[in-house]
Amino acid sequence: MRISYEWLGDFLDLEGLTPKDAADVLTRQGVEVESLTMVDLSAIVIGKVLEQTKHPKSRNDLWVHQVDLGGRVQQIIAGAPNAVPGSLVPVALPGTTVPNGKVVKDMNIAGYQASGMLCSASELLLGDDHSGILILDRGTPGQSLTTVIPSQAIMEAEVTSNRPDCMGHLGIARELGAGLDRPMKRDFMPAFTGTADPPGRDLVRVSIEDPELCSRYIGGVITGVRVGPSPDWMQRRLRASAVRPINNIVDITNYVLLEYAQPLHAFDLAKLKGPAIEVRRARDRERLLGLDGVERELTTDMLVIADAERPVALAGVIGGEETAVTEATTDILLESATFSGPSIRQTSRALGLRTEASARFERALPPELALAGARRAASLIAELAGGKVHRDWADVYPRPQEPVRVNIRPSLIDDVLGTHVPLQEAEAILKRLNFHVKVRGDGEWDVLPPVFRLDVAIPEDLVEEVGRVYGYDRVAPTLPGRRHDRWTPLAPSMDRRLDDGREVLAGAGFTETWTPALVSGTKLESLRIAAHAMRVLNALSDDMDTLRTSLLPSLFDAVALNRDRGRDEVRLYEIATAFLARVGEKNAQPEEPLRLAAVATAGTTAQEGEDGFRALKSVLDGRQLGYIGEVHPAVAAQSKLDGRVVAFEIDVEPVLGAAHVPRAQPLPRFPGVERDLAVVVEDAVAAGAVLLAIKESAGEMLEHARAFDEYHGAQVPEGHKSIAFTLTFRSPERTLTDAEVDTVMAEIRLGLEKRHRARFRE
Amino acid sequence: MSDPSALTTEALAAIAQAPGEDALAKVELEYLGRKSGRVSRLLANIGQLPPAEKAALGKAANEAKRAIEAALAARRAELEQARLADLAETEAIDVTFPGPPLGRGHIHVLTQVRRQIETVLESLGYQVELGPEVETEWYNFEALNITAGHPARENWDSFYFSPELLLRAHTSPVQIRAMQRIKEPPIYIITPGRCYRRDAPEATRLPYFSQVEGLAVDRGMTVGDMKGTLLYMIQSLYGADRKVRVRPSYFPFTEPSFEFDVSCGICGGMGCKSCRHKGWLEVGGCGMVHPQVLRNGGIDPSQWNGYAWGFGIERMAMLKHDVDDIRLFYEPDLRFLEQF
Repeated sequence: MRISYEWLGDFLDLEGLTPKDAADVLTRQGVEVESLTMVDLSAIVIGKVLEQTKHPKSRNDLWVHQVDLGGRVQQIIAGAPNAVPGSLVPVALPGTTVPNGKVVKDMNIAGYQASGMLCSASELLLGDDHSGILILDRGTPGQSLTTVIPSQAIMEAEVTSNRPDCMGHLGIARELGAGLDRPMKRDFMPAFTGTADPPGRDLVRVSIEDPELCSRYIGGVITGVRVGPSPDWMQRRLRASAVRPINNIVDITNYVLLEYAQPLHAFDLAKLKGPAIEVRRARDRERLLGLDGVERELTTDMLVIADAERPVALAGVIGGEETAVTEATTDILLESATFSGPSIRQTSRALGLRTEASARFERALPPELALAGARRAASLIAELAGGKVHRDWADVYPRPQEPVRVNIRPSLIDDVLGTHVPLQEAEAILKRLNFHVKVRGDGEWDVLPPVFRLDVAIPEDLVEEVGRVYGYDRVAPTLPGRRHDRWTPLAPSMDRRLDDGREVLAGAGFTETWTPALVSGTKLESLRIAAHAMRVLNALSDDMDTLRTSLLPSLFDAVALNRDRGRDEVRLYEIATAFLARVGEKNAQPEEPLRLAAVATAGTTAQEGEDGFRALKSVLDGRQLGYIGEVHPAVAAQSKLDGRVVAFEIDVEPVLGAAHVPRAQPLPRFPGVERDLAVVVEDAVAAGAVLLAIKESAGEMLEHARAFDEYHGAQVPEGHKSIAFTLTFRSPERTLTDAEVDTVMAEIRLGLEKRHRARFRE
Repeated sequence: MSDPSALTTEALAAIAQAPGEDALAKVELEYLGRKSGRVSRLLANIGQLPPAEKAALGKAANEAKRAIEAALAARRAELEQARLADLAETEAIDVTFPGPPLGRGHIHVLTQVRRQIETVLESLGYQVELGPEVETEWYNFEALNITAGHPARENWDSFYFSPELLLRAHTSPVQIRAMQRIKEPPIYIITPGRCYRRDAPEATRLPYFSQVEGLAVDRGMTVGDMKGTLLYMIQSLYGADRKVRVRPSYFPFTEPSFEFDVSCGICGGMGCKSCRHKGWLEVGGCGMVHPQVLRNGGIDPSQWNGYAWGFGIERMAMLKHDVDDIRLFYEPDLRFLEQF
């Protein structure tokens, strides 16, 4: 919401207040002012154009002006042709900084001296219009522009979705007034000015098909209006709010929207067939040419305003071109209605069309606001466009707004805030916010919120109203604490339990990544891991349309990314959930196993690949929990991985489940004996099988055995390999003798010969 | 046969002049060597002397031996001291030359920040609770008072798998699940985890991000308690000089609702370029748990009340480590990951 500070002065005395003060009060109270732009117009002077001629030499369209600045005349060149002789214009003289930041200098343009600049509305930050010079409707040449246009301050404020009443200057002023304890200059509900005959409701028939979608429709009739430009001050305020002035009638509807937050629409009554208004759902394939010049095909879930024959407006979103107010219009139907928020939001989304009106209706406006807005607009039309406001308007109001009463035990305010707010102060704050407070005999308060506040329904809402105006900075920070007779012992979080793993991986040179869980479904399919994949119905893009069933594809991409950026050696891991749909169960939440996956580059040769595999395996320490291996060349190619890549992925929960507290073993009292053993077996025999055989033959004396080398070559027969083991023998009772160990070694050899036809190398 | 005292004088002179260990060893060998040392030989020959001389010479020779040994030890200590005194010069190395790389990997900055947050809140008695990332409509919205058609729903535009099933837009569903599981307060939990919203990726937001939410349900909880908890958390994470401000805001699941800001660490709240002259940096949302939300979690709001708060882990990490683009966290670029 764009707020013009100067506009707030219509509703509230701003004496002694700066725009910064106002912004701070609003932010403190819950209307967050995100930016404050000061527009200082004091250095801009008013000039009167005496002469305008086309620049003869310039190839661009430039115009040379002689401008009266009150006693002296300056020559100024401009690119727009609209500052015709007699125009009053804002002039920035050399040395002046224009509000948009530009510094004006003396210039010579193709032989013509230019001493200053004629300003557009956008250069003065008075609006978005940069098409021409801003033409003033009054002012004295040579005087400061601030004699006709006050310096401005524009605030961009974020209004929360529960406060549509603050989507207008009146609501913002009310908030500010409550915070400053200053009275409002104007009542919320304007007086009704309609007196003309015949009654408005006799001039147009209004009906509502579905009260769920439209709870109120007011159709005000005003006849005999003169359509023309709206006054300068109104145009200026509209421009400051980034609304383009059209004509006085349309401008007034927009102006009241920016004041009251109630969207309005004016139809040319003569163009309405019937004349009748029917609020109904669009019929299939009905079309409407909007005020923006776009013709749209409507669907049956969209709400329209129709006359006796056809849709004339898309309810709450945009009016129709065919029934719009033009220069020729004399009689108008002023629409002020209340539409269902979700319905308007749905239509606005479906058409990709968000307007000032739809942005307000989406948040569910109170029906009472419709009446206030209609009355305000009618009196402005009568004042600025002439015309007669007819009495007794059509006002179809099938669901009257029920007053909400809230009972509150006033001590709840202190209980929730944790500080003491004197009762009188709390009551005064509620009254400043237009709440009625009745103190009952039992001390409870019977509170009636103002009609424009649909968001207040429970006692806690009232606590918030008091708290935010009282000031939360006055609530001292405390830590909660009382005697508890029950508690839950601290259980280490999953993250904490994985800390050890992260340290091990870091020590082994692996860096942790966090990659998105949404990946390309097509990619999962091509890797053939899409059987349990869940596809998002409303994905943002193809590469984020499916939940990953494995972390590995993301890690492969991570390797490719780092390779692209010049890294040859990459070691990465991630700990995150994989998502596995429960096939055949509709609407069931998927399994979400927490996974640990790691990936490492492993050179280019087969040997490097094997070494990489072994290095990765030692990280896992032999547990069988998931997949480990070298990435298949086809997969590697698909993921644009050059060279060999090894990877694993495991479920974390079983690992954590298997974790145990280490129990201390007595330190060995006697020395151990180490022996190496080179076992020659056929290539097909795995090191693990040989190790098993060694352990079986060795008995209790063997403390530890481990393979440490594998050899192929001249000293080993073709089709065979030699695996070297180191064996440690120890007894808990005595120092072993060489003879004892020799006996066991002989047993081991014998076992290996039998089981694996092994030979031995010295 | 030499005179022990002459021998001693001679030896002590040699020791005093010995320039280093080698010379000393030579002197030691010459006088005290086991077989051919001059003092040793003297002692070895004592046996052949007449008993009258034996005692006197034996005593003198032993004294000579002790004197030489003492002198050797003293000279050695002296030389060692001299050597150590020169060590800085004799064994000088280029201390600027780097050691071999350790090749250690890095733990992700978001993991580190999440860990810090957990540690701080665990110190206040909060426990970590986790929940599913694919949630039901009820837990993600209805239970949190965000009914269908609610105007606030557009703040949580979500990814759907069916009208009933979606990727959670916040970790708040875990609060409901925790209340249902624990049943009887006190409840003090934090809920770290990944969340998803249908926002196009840009420098300040992503369709996927990580949150930590906190929930405290007990008797007589106040806005002051909530402020104190936030202040303790922020000061523990960013330093004791930081301040916290709560600003009224609106969420359907809390009443009253707030956004909370932390004072700018660069200007200390005065206003500077990095806080866009506000003096404050937005961190997250908070509020007193709405009575209906307590009811949805199976807690009786007439007996218990509480507060909750939430924020993005990325936002915390950005503030702490001056990261200016949220996308860096999820792009597995080692050049970024290795900075932490």
